[in-house]
Amino acid sequence: MPGAPIEAVQRVPLFADLDRHEVEQIARLFKERHFAEGETVVREGSGGAAFFLIVSGEATVSVGGAPRRTLGPGDYFGEIALIDEGTRSATITATSELDCYGLTFWDFGPLVQENGAIGWKLLQSMAKKLRAAEQGAPPS
Amino acid sequence: MKDVVPLSKATDTAIFGSKAVGLGDAERKGLSVPPGVALSGAIVEAVASGDERAIERVLKSVQPLNRPLAVRSSAVDEDGAEASFAGQHLTLLNVPSSAEVSSAVREIWWSANSDSAITYRQRVGLFARPSVGVVVQTLLDSDVAGVMFTLNPMTGADECVIEASWGLGEAVVAGLVIPDYYRIDRSARVLERKAGRKKRAIRSVAAGGTVEEEVAPNLVEQLCLEDDQLAELHGLALRCEEVYGPARDIEWAFANGTLYLLQCRAVTRVGI
Repeated sequence: MPGAPIEAVQRVPLFADLDRHEVEQIARLFKERHFAEGETVVREGSGGAAFFLIVSGEATVSVGGAPRRTLGPGDYFGEIALIDEGTRSATITATSELDCYGLTFWDFGPLVQENGAIGWKLLQSMAKKLRAAEQGAPPS
Repeated sequence: MKDVVPLSKATDTAIFGSKAVGLGDAERKGLSVPPGVALSGAIVEAVASGDERAIERVLKSVQPLNRPLAVRSSAVDEDGAEASFAGQHLTLLNVPSSAEVSSAVREIWWSANSDSAITYRQRVGLFARPSVGVVVQTLLDSDVAGVMFTLNPMTGADECVIEASWGLGEAVVAGLVIPDYYRIDRSARVLERKAGRKKRAIRSVAAGGTVEEEVAPNLVEQLCLEDDQLAELHGLALRCEEVYGPARDIEWAFANGTLYLLQCRAVTRVGI
Protein backbone atom coordinates (compact mmCIF):
# COMPACT_ATOMS: atom_id res chain seq x y z
CA MET A 1 0.00 0.00 0.00
CA PRO A 2 1.39 3.45 -0.87
CA GLY A 3 2.09 5.95 1.90
CA ALA A 4 3.73 5.60 5.29
CA PRO A 5 3.85 2.32 7.26
CA ILE A 6 0.71 2.12 9.40
CA GLU A 7 2.72 1.22 12.52
CA ALA A 8 4.84 4.37 12.14
CA VAL A 9 1.76 6.58 11.90
CA GLN A 10 0.08 4.79 14.80
CA ARG A 11 3.07 5.59 17.05
CA VAL A 12 2.52 9.35 16.57
CA PRO A 13 0.66 10.57 19.70
CA LEU A 14 -1.54 12.71 17.46
CA PHE A 15 -3.01 9.64 15.79
CA ALA A 16 -2.70 7.16 18.67
CA ASP A 17 -6.40 7.04 19.60
CA LEU A 18 -7.67 6.45 16.09
CA ASP A 19 -8.85 3.07 14.92
CA ARG A 20 -6.86 1.11 12.36
CA HIS A 21 -9.07 2.08 9.44
CA GLU A 22 -8.63 5.79 10.23
CA VAL A 23 -4.88 5.38 10.62
CA GLU A 24 -4.76 3.57 7.27
CA GLN A 25 -6.51 6.49 5.61
CA ILE A 26 -4.02 8.93 7.07
CA ALA A 27 -0.98 6.76 6.31
CA ARG A 28 -1.97 6.69 2.64
CA LEU A 29 -1.62 10.49 2.47
CA PHE A 30 2.00 10.52 3.62
CA LYS A 31 4.87 10.62 1.14
CA GLU A 32 8.43 9.54 1.74
CA ARG A 33 11.10 12.23 1.87
CA HIS A 34 14.83 11.94 2.39
CA PHE A 35 17.13 14.68 3.70
CA ALA A 36 20.91 14.50 3.53
CA GLU A 37 23.05 15.02 6.63
CA GLY A 38 23.45 18.75 7.25
CA GLU A 39 20.43 19.68 5.13
CA THR A 40 18.01 22.28 6.48
CA VAL A 41 14.68 20.52 6.73
CA VAL A 42 12.63 23.59 7.66
CA ARG A 43 13.83 27.14 8.18
CA GLU A 44 12.50 29.49 10.88
CA GLY A 45 10.50 32.29 9.25
CA SER A 46 9.72 30.42 6.04
CA GLY A 47 6.17 29.45 5.06
CA GLY A 48 5.22 25.90 6.00
CA ALA A 49 4.31 23.32 3.37
CA ALA A 50 4.34 20.02 5.22
CA PHE A 51 4.18 18.16 8.50
CA PHE A 52 6.88 15.49 8.94
CA LEU A 53 7.19 12.25 10.83
CA ILE A 54 10.73 10.93 11.35
CA VAL A 55 11.26 7.28 10.48
CA SER A 56 15.01 7.09 10.90
CA GLY A 57 17.89 9.46 11.63
CA GLU A 58 18.20 12.54 13.81
CA ALA A 59 17.63 16.26 13.52
CA THR A 60 18.16 19.27 15.78
CA VAL A 61 15.65 21.99 16.55
CA SER A 62 16.91 25.55 16.97
CA VAL A 63 15.12 28.82 17.58
CA GLY A 64 16.88 32.10 16.84
CA GLY A 65 20.09 30.13 16.32
CA ALA A 66 19.94 28.55 19.81
CA PRO A 67 19.71 24.75 19.88
CA ARG A 68 16.60 23.50 21.71
CA ARG A 69 16.38 19.72 21.36
CA THR A 70 17.07 16.69 19.23
CA LEU A 71 14.45 14.82 17.27
CA GLY A 72 14.58 11.13 16.39
CA PRO A 73 12.48 8.28 15.04
CA GLY A 74 8.80 8.65 15.98
CA ASP A 75 9.05 12.41 16.52
CA TYR A 76 7.00 14.75 14.38
CA PHE A 77 7.28 18.43 13.58
CA GLY A 78 5.98 21.18 11.34
CA GLU A 79 2.34 21.19 12.32
CA ILE A 80 2.20 24.76 13.70
CA ALA A 81 2.78 26.60 10.42
CA LEU A 82 0.24 24.33 8.75
CA ILE A 83 -2.43 25.26 11.28
CA ASP A 84 -2.07 29.05 11.25
CA GLU A 85 -0.68 29.34 7.69
CA GLY A 86 2.09 31.32 9.30
CA THR A 87 5.81 30.89 9.26
CA ARG A 88 8.00 28.13 10.67
CA SER A 89 8.65 28.70 14.37
CA ALA A 90 11.99 26.86 14.43
CA THR A 91 14.79 25.67 12.19
CA ILE A 92 15.27 21.93 11.92
CA THR A 93 18.52 20.54 10.56
CA ALA A 94 19.26 16.92 9.72
CA THR A 95 22.25 15.78 11.80
CA SER A 96 22.37 12.41 10.01
CA GLU A 97 20.78 10.95 6.92
CA LEU A 98 17.12 11.58 7.72
CA ASP A 99 14.16 9.59 6.40
CA CYS A 100 10.77 11.11 6.95
CA TYR A 101 7.22 10.81 5.81
CA GLY A 102 5.56 14.11 5.02
CA LEU A 103 1.95 15.20 4.90
CA THR A 104 1.42 18.42 2.96
CA PHE A 105 -0.62 21.44 3.98
CA TRP A 106 -3.17 20.48 1.32
CA ASP A 107 -3.80 17.07 2.88
CA PHE A 108 -3.24 18.00 6.54
CA GLY A 109 -5.93 20.72 6.74
CA PRO A 110 -8.88 18.63 5.50
CA LEU A 111 -7.70 15.70 7.63
CA VAL A 112 -7.84 17.73 10.87
CA GLN A 113 -11.05 19.50 9.89
CA GLU A 114 -12.81 16.20 9.22
CA ASN A 115 -11.50 14.32 12.24
CA GLY A 116 -12.38 15.65 15.68
CA ALA A 117 -10.15 13.14 17.48
CA ILE A 118 -7.08 14.37 15.60
CA GLY A 119 -8.13 17.98 16.18
CA TRP A 120 -8.42 17.33 19.94
CA LYS A 121 -4.99 15.67 20.08
CA LEU A 122 -3.55 18.60 18.21
CA LEU A 123 -5.15 21.01 20.69
CA GLN A 124 -3.64 19.10 23.60
CA SER A 125 -0.22 19.20 21.96
CA MET A 126 -0.55 22.94 21.29
CA ALA A 127 -1.66 23.60 24.89
CA LYS A 128 1.36 21.69 26.16
CA LYS A 129 3.68 23.76 23.99
CA LEU A 130 1.99 27.00 25.07
CA ARG A 131 2.34 26.09 28.75
CA ALA A 132 5.99 25.18 28.25
CA ALA A 133 6.61 28.48 26.45
CA GLU A 134 4.88 30.44 29.25
CA GLN A 135 7.07 28.72 31.80
CA GLY A 136 10.15 29.51 29.74
CA ALA A 137 11.06 25.89 29.27
CA PRO A 138 11.86 24.35 25.90
CA PRO A 139 8.74 22.61 24.53
CA SER A 140 8.71 18.86 24.98
CA MET B 1 -6.71 9.26 -20.36
CA LYS B 2 -3.03 8.35 -20.64
CA ASP B 3 -0.82 9.42 -17.76
CA VAL B 4 2.48 8.80 -19.55
CA VAL B 5 2.93 9.81 -23.20
CA PRO B 6 5.77 10.51 -25.62
CA LEU B 7 6.47 14.25 -25.75
CA SER B 8 4.85 14.48 -29.19
CA LYS B 9 1.53 13.39 -27.62
CA ALA B 10 1.63 15.89 -24.74
CA THR B 11 -1.02 18.44 -25.75
CA ASP B 12 -2.90 19.40 -22.57
CA THR B 13 -1.16 21.83 -20.19
CA ALA B 14 -3.74 21.11 -17.48
CA ILE B 15 -2.55 17.49 -17.43
CA PHE B 16 1.15 17.58 -18.37
CA GLY B 17 2.18 21.18 -17.62
CA SER B 18 3.46 23.90 -19.91
CA LYS B 19 7.03 22.63 -20.27
CA ALA B 20 5.92 19.20 -21.53
CA VAL B 21 3.36 20.66 -23.92
CA GLY B 22 5.85 23.28 -25.17
CA LEU B 23 8.35 20.52 -25.99
CA GLY B 24 5.53 18.50 -27.54
CA ASP B 25 4.63 21.48 -29.77
CA ALA B 26 8.27 21.67 -30.86
CA GLU B 27 8.33 17.98 -31.80
CA ARG B 28 5.05 18.24 -33.67
CA LYS B 29 6.46 21.16 -35.68
CA GLY B 30 9.65 19.28 -36.56
CA LEU B 31 12.11 21.01 -34.23
CA SER B 32 14.94 18.91 -32.79
CA VAL B 33 14.16 18.06 -29.18
CA PRO B 34 15.94 15.39 -27.09
CA PRO B 35 13.71 12.30 -26.98
CA GLY B 36 11.51 12.04 -23.93
CA VAL B 37 8.21 11.31 -22.24
CA ALA B 38 5.72 13.44 -20.32
CA LEU B 39 4.23 12.34 -17.00
CA SER B 40 0.91 13.78 -15.85
CA GLY B 41 0.50 15.50 -12.50
CA ALA B 42 -1.65 12.57 -11.35
CA ILE B 43 0.97 9.90 -12.02
CA VAL B 44 3.71 12.06 -10.50
CA GLU B 45 1.68 12.28 -7.29
CA ALA B 46 1.09 8.50 -7.40
CA VAL B 47 4.83 7.84 -7.85
CA ALA B 48 5.61 10.21 -4.97
CA SER B 49 3.10 8.23 -2.85
CA GLY B 50 5.00 5.01 -3.56
CA ASP B 51 2.24 3.46 -5.72
CA GLU B 52 3.97 0.38 -7.19
CA ARG B 53 1.81 0.21 -10.34
CA ALA B 54 2.45 3.87 -11.14
CA ILE B 55 6.21 3.42 -10.59
CA GLU B 56 6.21 0.36 -12.85
CA ARG B 57 4.41 2.25 -15.63
CA VAL B 58 6.84 5.16 -15.45
CA LEU B 59 9.91 2.90 -15.44
CA LYS B 60 8.57 0.98 -18.45
CA SER B 61 7.95 4.21 -20.37
CA VAL B 62 11.48 5.58 -19.83
CA GLN B 63 13.17 2.24 -20.62
CA PRO B 64 13.66 3.00 -24.37
CA LEU B 65 15.35 6.37 -23.70
CA ASN B 66 19.12 6.54 -23.97
CA ARG B 67 20.94 7.15 -20.67
CA PRO B 68 21.67 9.34 -18.82
CA LEU B 69 18.36 11.08 -18.27
CA ALA B 70 17.26 14.58 -17.31
CA VAL B 71 14.17 14.72 -15.11
CA ARG B 72 12.49 18.14 -15.13
CA SER B 73 9.41 19.61 -13.49
CA SER B 74 6.53 20.73 -15.67
CA ALA B 75 4.12 22.30 -13.21
CA VAL B 76 0.69 23.09 -14.52
CA ASP B 77 0.99 26.79 -13.69
CA GLU B 78 4.74 26.92 -14.26
CA ASP B 79 6.26 29.55 -16.58
CA GLY B 80 2.92 31.34 -16.85
CA ALA B 81 2.80 35.02 -17.64
CA GLU B 82 1.62 35.87 -14.12
CA ALA B 83 4.21 33.99 -12.16
CA SER B 84 7.25 32.01 -13.17
CA PHE B 85 8.15 29.02 -11.03
CA ALA B 86 11.65 28.92 -12.47
CA GLY B 87 14.01 28.19 -9.61
CA GLN B 88 11.25 26.89 -7.34
CA HIS B 89 10.77 23.51 -8.94
CA LEU B 90 13.57 21.08 -9.37
CA THR B 91 15.41 19.75 -12.40
CA LEU B 92 17.57 16.69 -11.87
CA LEU B 93 20.25 16.28 -14.49
CA ASN B 94 22.03 13.03 -15.26
CA VAL B 95 19.82 10.47 -13.59
CA PRO B 96 21.94 7.45 -14.53
CA SER B 97 19.36 4.67 -14.74
CA SER B 98 15.63 4.19 -14.95
CA ALA B 99 15.68 2.69 -11.43
CA GLU B 100 16.52 6.13 -10.06
CA VAL B 101 13.78 7.86 -12.00
CA SER B 102 11.10 7.21 -9.38
CA SER B 103 13.11 8.87 -6.59
CA ALA B 104 13.88 11.78 -8.95
CA VAL B 105 10.15 12.14 -9.67
CA ARG B 106 9.43 12.09 -5.93
CA GLU B 107 12.03 14.80 -5.31
CA ILE B 108 10.44 16.97 -7.98
CA TRP B 109 7.01 16.44 -6.44
CA TRP B 110 8.44 17.59 -3.10
CA SER B 111 10.10 20.62 -4.70
CA ALA B 112 6.63 21.78 -5.76
CA ASN B 113 5.44 21.15 -2.19
CA SER B 114 8.42 22.63 -0.38
CA ASP B 115 8.41 25.48 2.15
CA SER B 116 9.99 27.84 -0.40
CA ALA B 117 7.44 26.90 -3.09
CA ILE B 118 4.51 27.50 -0.74
CA THR B 119 6.01 30.84 0.39
CA TYR B 120 6.35 31.83 -3.27
CA ARG B 121 2.76 30.77 -3.97
CA GLN B 122 1.51 32.89 -1.08
CA ARG B 123 3.53 35.88 -2.33
CA VAL B 124 2.28 35.76 -5.93
CA GLY B 125 -1.33 34.92 -5.08
CA LEU B 126 -1.29 31.33 -6.36
CA PHE B 127 -2.05 29.72 -3.03
CA ALA B 128 -3.54 26.49 -4.35
CA ARG B 129 -2.58 22.84 -4.31
CA PRO B 130 0.22 22.47 -6.86
CA SER B 131 0.02 19.95 -9.65
CA VAL B 132 3.40 19.04 -11.03
CA GLY B 133 3.98 17.13 -14.24
CA VAL B 134 7.40 15.81 -15.15
CA VAL B 135 9.40 15.55 -18.37
CA VAL B 136 11.98 12.74 -18.61
CA GLN B 137 14.41 13.20 -21.49
CA THR B 138 17.73 11.87 -22.66
CA LEU B 139 20.39 14.20 -21.24
CA LEU B 140 22.55 15.49 -24.07
CA ASP B 141 26.28 15.47 -23.60
CA SER B 142 26.49 18.94 -25.10
CA ASP B 143 29.68 20.55 -26.37
CA VAL B 144 28.26 24.07 -26.23
CA ALA B 145 24.97 25.27 -24.80
CA GLY B 146 23.22 28.35 -23.55
CA VAL B 147 20.26 30.67 -23.85
CA MET B 148 18.87 32.83 -26.65
CA PHE B 149 16.33 35.65 -26.66
CA THR B 150 14.51 36.58 -29.85
CA LEU B 151 14.37 40.17 -28.71
CA ASN B 152 16.99 42.00 -26.71
CA PRO B 153 15.88 41.48 -23.08
CA MET B 154 17.75 44.60 -21.92
CA THR B 155 16.73 47.13 -24.61
CA GLY B 156 13.72 45.52 -26.28
CA ALA B 157 15.47 45.85 -29.68
CA ASP B 158 14.30 43.50 -32.42
CA GLU B 159 17.41 41.29 -32.50
CA CYS B 160 18.57 37.91 -31.19
CA VAL B 161 20.76 37.84 -28.10
CA ILE B 162 22.72 34.65 -27.46
CA GLU B 163 24.71 33.64 -24.38
CA ALA B 164 26.84 30.53 -24.73
CA SER B 165 29.36 28.48 -22.80
CA TRP B 166 31.08 25.07 -22.88
CA GLY B 167 29.34 21.91 -21.66
CA LEU B 168 25.81 21.84 -20.26
CA GLY B 169 23.74 25.03 -20.45
CA GLU B 170 23.23 25.07 -16.67
CA ALA B 171 26.57 26.95 -16.40
CA VAL B 172 24.90 29.87 -18.19
CA VAL B 173 21.48 29.53 -16.55
CA ALA B 174 22.99 29.34 -13.06
CA GLY B 175 25.34 32.30 -13.68
CA LEU B 176 28.43 30.15 -13.09
CA VAL B 177 30.38 31.77 -15.94
CA ILE B 178 30.58 35.00 -17.87
CA PRO B 179 29.26 33.54 -21.12
CA ASP B 180 30.08 34.56 -24.67
CA TYR B 181 27.67 37.22 -25.87
CA TYR B 182 26.33 37.56 -29.41
CA ARG B 183 23.77 39.84 -31.09
CA ILE B 184 22.27 38.93 -34.46
CA ASP B 185 19.82 41.01 -36.49
CA ARG B 186 16.73 39.76 -38.34
CA SER B 187 18.71 39.20 -41.54
CA ALA B 188 21.17 36.89 -39.68
CA ARG B 189 23.96 39.50 -39.67
CA VAL B 190 26.15 39.21 -36.58
CA LEU B 191 26.10 42.63 -34.90
CA GLU B 192 28.31 41.82 -31.95
CA ARG B 193 30.36 38.93 -30.60
CA LYS B 194 32.10 39.23 -27.27
CA ALA B 195 34.09 36.44 -25.64
CA GLY B 196 33.24 35.76 -22.01
CA ARG B 197 35.35 34.21 -19.27
CA LYS B 198 34.20 30.62 -19.19
CA LYS B 199 36.43 29.21 -16.47
CA ARG B 200 34.07 26.41 -15.45
CA ALA B 201 31.89 23.93 -17.32
CA ILE B 202 29.17 21.62 -16.02
CA ARG B 203 29.41 18.07 -17.31
CA SER B 204 27.49 14.90 -16.50
CA VAL B 205 29.32 12.12 -14.68
CA ALA B 206 28.88 8.41 -15.27
CA ALA B 207 27.69 7.60 -11.74
CA GLY B 208 24.93 10.23 -11.93
CA GLY B 209 24.61 13.92 -11.22
CA THR B 210 26.83 16.61 -12.64
CA VAL B 211 30.22 18.04 -11.85
CA GLU B 212 31.84 21.44 -12.33
CA GLU B 213 35.06 21.15 -14.28
CA GLU B 214 37.81 23.64 -15.00
CA VAL B 215 37.92 24.69 -18.63
CA ALA B 216 41.29 24.40 -20.41
CA PRO B 217 43.03 27.82 -20.21
CA ASN B 218 43.08 28.29 -24.00
CA LEU B 219 39.28 27.87 -24.17
CA VAL B 220 38.34 30.23 -21.33
CA GLU B 221 38.25 33.34 -23.53
CA GLN B 222 37.85 31.61 -26.89
CA LEU B 223 34.49 32.14 -28.60
CA CYS B 224 32.57 28.88 -28.42
CA LEU B 225 30.28 29.39 -31.43
CA GLU B 226 31.32 29.42 -35.11
CA ASP B 227 29.49 31.42 -37.78
CA ASP B 228 27.60 28.37 -39.09
CA GLN B 229 26.38 27.60 -35.55
CA LEU B 230 25.22 31.19 -35.12
CA ALA B 231 23.32 30.86 -38.41
CA GLU B 232 21.67 27.67 -37.12
CA LEU B 233 20.70 29.39 -33.88
CA HIS B 234 19.25 32.29 -35.85
CA GLY B 235 17.19 29.77 -37.83
CA LEU B 236 16.01 28.16 -34.59
CA ALA B 237 14.96 31.58 -33.24
CA LEU B 238 12.83 32.24 -36.33
CA ARG B 239 11.23 28.78 -36.17
CA CYS B 240 10.46 29.19 -32.47
CA GLU B 241 8.75 32.53 -33.18
CA GLU B 242 6.70 30.85 -35.94
CA VAL B 243 5.66 28.04 -33.63
CA TYR B 244 5.20 29.87 -30.32
CA GLY B 245 4.90 33.57 -31.18
CA PRO B 246 7.24 36.55 -30.76
CA ALA B 247 9.63 37.35 -27.89
CA ARG B 248 10.95 33.93 -26.92
CA ASP B 249 13.42 32.88 -24.22
CA ILE B 250 15.11 29.72 -25.53
CA GLU B 251 17.46 27.16 -23.99
CA TRP B 252 19.49 25.27 -26.60
CA ALA B 253 22.44 22.89 -26.90
CA PHE B 254 24.79 21.58 -29.59
CA ALA B 255 25.61 17.88 -29.19
CA ASN B 256 27.54 15.89 -31.78
CA GLY B 257 27.01 18.64 -34.34
CA THR B 258 23.22 18.83 -33.94
CA LEU B 259 21.37 21.81 -32.49
CA TYR B 260 18.63 20.89 -30.01
CA LEU B 261 15.88 22.96 -28.46
CA LEU B 262 15.72 22.30 -24.71
CA GLN B 263 13.08 24.81 -23.66
CA CYS B 264 11.17 27.74 -25.13
CA ARG B 265 9.09 30.17 -23.12
CA ALA B 266 7.89 33.74 -23.36
CA VAL B 267 10.22 36.56 -22.37
CA THR B 268 8.60 37.74 -19.15
CA ARG B 269 10.45 41.03 -18.64
CA VAL B 270 12.31 43.55 -20.77
CA GLY B 271 14.79 46.00 -19.24
CA ILE B 272 16.18 45.97 -15.73
